[in-house]
Amino acid sequence: MSKGLSLLCKKVQAEMLELPNKRIRKHRHTHAHHTMELELSLSPPNQTRHPIKKSRHGDPCRFPLVSWNHDEDDQQPNTFFTGDYQPDLDDDGEGVIGWPPLHSWRKRLMEENQHERVEVFNRGEHHEEGDININVMNRNCNELFVKVKMDGVGIARKIDLNAFHSYQTLTTALIHMFDKYVEIEEDGAAYKLMYQHRDGHWHLGGDLPWEMFIRSVKRIQMVRN
Amino acid sequence: MPTMDPNRKKSKPVDLVDSVDSRVELTESTRSCPFPDEVLERVLSLIDSHKDRSSVSLVCKDWYNAERWSRRHVFIGNCYSVSPEIVAARFPRIRSVTLKGKPRFSDFNLVPEDWGADVHPWLSVFSSAYPFLEELRLKRMAVSDESLEFLATSFHGFKALSLLSCDGFSTDGLKAIASHCKNLTELDIQENGIDDLGGHWLSCFPESQTSLEVLNFASLNSEVSFDALEKLVSRCKSLRVLKLNRNISLDQLQKLLLHCPQLMELGTGTFMQELISGPVTEFKNMFSNCRKLVTVSGLWDATPLYLPVIYPVCASLTFLNLSYATLQSSELANLLFHCRSLRRLWLLDTVGDKGLEAVGSCCPLLEELRVFPADPFDQEIFLGVTESGFVSVSRGCPKLRHVLYFCRQMTNAAVATIARNCPDFTHFRLCIMNPGQPDYLTKEPMDEAFGAIVKTCTKLQRLAVSGLLTDRTFEYIGQHAKNMETLSVAFAGNSDLGMECVLKGCPKLRKLEIRDCPFGNAALLSGLTKYESMRSLWMSACNVTMNACRMLAKEKPRLNVEVMRDEEGSDDSQAHKVYVYRSVAGPRRDAPPFVLTL
Repeated sequence: MSKGLSLLCKKVQAEMLELPNKRIRKHRHTHAHHTMELELSLSPPNQTRHPIKKSRHGDPCRFPLVSWNHDEDDQQPNTFFTGDYQPDLDDDGEGVIGWPPLHSWRKRLMEENQHERVEVFNRGEHHEEGDININVMNRNCNELFVKVKMDGVGIARKIDLNAFHSYQTLTTALIHMFDKYVEIEEDGAAYKLMYQHRDGHWHLGGDLPWEMFIRSVKRIQMVRN
Repeated sequence: MPTMDPNRKKSKPVDLVDSVDSRVELTESTRSCPFPDEVLERVLSLIDSHKDRSSVSLVCKDWYNAERWSRRHVFIGNCYSVSPEIVAARFPRIRSVTLKGKPRFSDFNLVPEDWGADVHPWLSVFSSAYPFLEELRLKRMAVSDESLEFLATSFHGFKALSLLSCDGFSTDGLKAIASHCKNLTELDIQENGIDDLGGHWLSCFPESQTSLEVLNFASLNSEVSFDALEKLVSRCKSLRVLKLNRNISLDQLQKLLLHCPQLMELGTGTFMQELISGPVTEFKNMFSNCRKLVTVSGLWDATPLYLPVIYPVCASLTFLNLSYATLQSSELANLLFHCRSLRRLWLLDTVGDKGLEAVGSCCPLLEELRVFPADPFDQEIFLGVTESGFVSVSRGCPKLRHVLYFCRQMTNAAVATIARNCPDFTHFRLCIMNPGQPDYLTKEPMDEAFGAIVKTCTKLQRLAVSGLLTDRTFEYIGQHAKNMETLSVAFAGNSDLGMECVLKGCPKLRKLEIRDCPFGNAALLSGLTKYESMRSLWMSACNVTMNACRMLAKEKPRLNVEVMRDEEGSDDSQAHKVYVYRSVAGPRRDAPPFVLTL
């Protein structure tokens, strides 16, 4: 090996032992069981936007992605890319650059389509004139999607109300759905279902008969007592 | 030649690059070959596969020469692996060229503009070396209007142009092609970053143009003259592929179909009319004359009212591309009921798991399934498909070989079941859209899922992994994926060991693309002896330093080691985007300032 190359080897070896430096940022996180120290931010190099943003609720939302802590062995569960990972959202709400791996041409197409699908119309054959729920996101009258939020959870969800037939089944399903995101004790006894009527006012779930409810509900919130 | 290089593994060369090295001596055969050259050439001219031709060229000098004189089509998987001069010197009689340029991650905006892969230098050389060039198929190349004009005017017998995922041109370039290529049989424009300046290009086809067989302008947005289109379609009696854009209405489609009953592949325009009342019956017979139709795509804005219009041709369809139609599960089920012969199906995830159940029950011959996300960025929508839809398909479609599946949740158990049901997978790409997401039921990493795939599906050639993955996934891949040629990895792995396992264990690996993984210098350098047998390696947002890249470049002069600089310029010792590929053409001479060749 030439002298120059052997010098290079030594440098590389030294670098391999060193932990990476510049792109590491320490993050606060809410989950006590994460014990990583050095993390790599996901922010890719070519972006001019800020890599760290607070979530809508003001919680620190930069969860650690990668740890260079070499102490782990195979048995330890990998806590790197946890399921709580929230992608780096830019102003378009586009998320991490180049992810998911969809051709940019197809991405543009989907974005255009989305604007169109928000229009309300129902081309099904059994459509009745006065019966439009203004939250229908689909053209098919068999589906009735409304937005649902739960206290303490950053991500809202949409569900098809046609899949349920009572407040009880709806509430149970919602508890299960949000179980992934936040700890829910006692099967959600601490939560109650509030909904926003078409007229804009918020009500407690259960005051209207189910059939009337699904025709007038605009959105739902699971509120903690 | 490979045998002269002690560092190189004795693997079968599959790319043009291996056998092009003209400096090395071939073992000279004594004239024991009983055939005159012309006979040998005639025999070899029947061989189409470029892999076979590469092997043939290595037998002996006579075969090398016979092969090079008889080759009509050259496939160049990486435009920088060889120069146009070298190609022209070796193959004097080329009529058809396929050329691929940028790394695949450029499709996802990971490669800056002006990176390179300009087709023009190739066209310049070809204009003198191959004046009779007939076909040009480009993928991920930079193509300017000037280049298209040059192409149209320099090659008088030019017949077929296919542009896939290219950029840099506008519809003005297409005007040149339409106007000047008198013998044009194919114009196929797909998924390009094109500047759409209007639909006038289509009107540039002269009245004398009657030879078109393939016309695909589905991805262009602007309106073409329907009159010009209708006349073109009616005088091109050999037209077999016609893919329209969204501006073509249903009644316009009906008129067109009257002129081309011989059509085999159709991409419709918008598949509904604004009439609220009014008979759908007037379109009922639209397809009744299309007896040869095997592929249907487009179907923009298709609604339950209009979909039944295509039912008459469904029975003979082998490929149905519904990835632009936001269908619900019941609409899909009703449609697929008629499509029993389907081999390939592309969908949007609006069909849901229920829609996929219908796929499983109606399409037993299915070999390829792609499910794209309708709302890939909307975190609020809890729709799409899950593991259960995939399992349903696998149960009903045991012949599945090629899958691309975007979803928001998956389990190890489901993938293991899928692998058992469909052991013949050759292409398996699973994209769990939330990076690093574990098995949503057990909270475990998704290692066992991909382990099951590589263990069970021995024919696997292409794999893309996702979800929470430890090094174990890569150990499995290294141990079992012996036929794998392409691997895509993102947000995965624990340490260098992961990448090392793959580089050591996968003998047929040709393309490795990695982003946002904790693989560092040791991993990169562990592939020192491997990269020359591969087409390319991409590593971005990993843990590789410039010094390691320099070392790789120094040790392996036949590799081009390129690093793309971070615009923020924060840290010069980190190599943010690394692209390594073998080349006989030496370092690029057209590299932009942000690409550093080491």
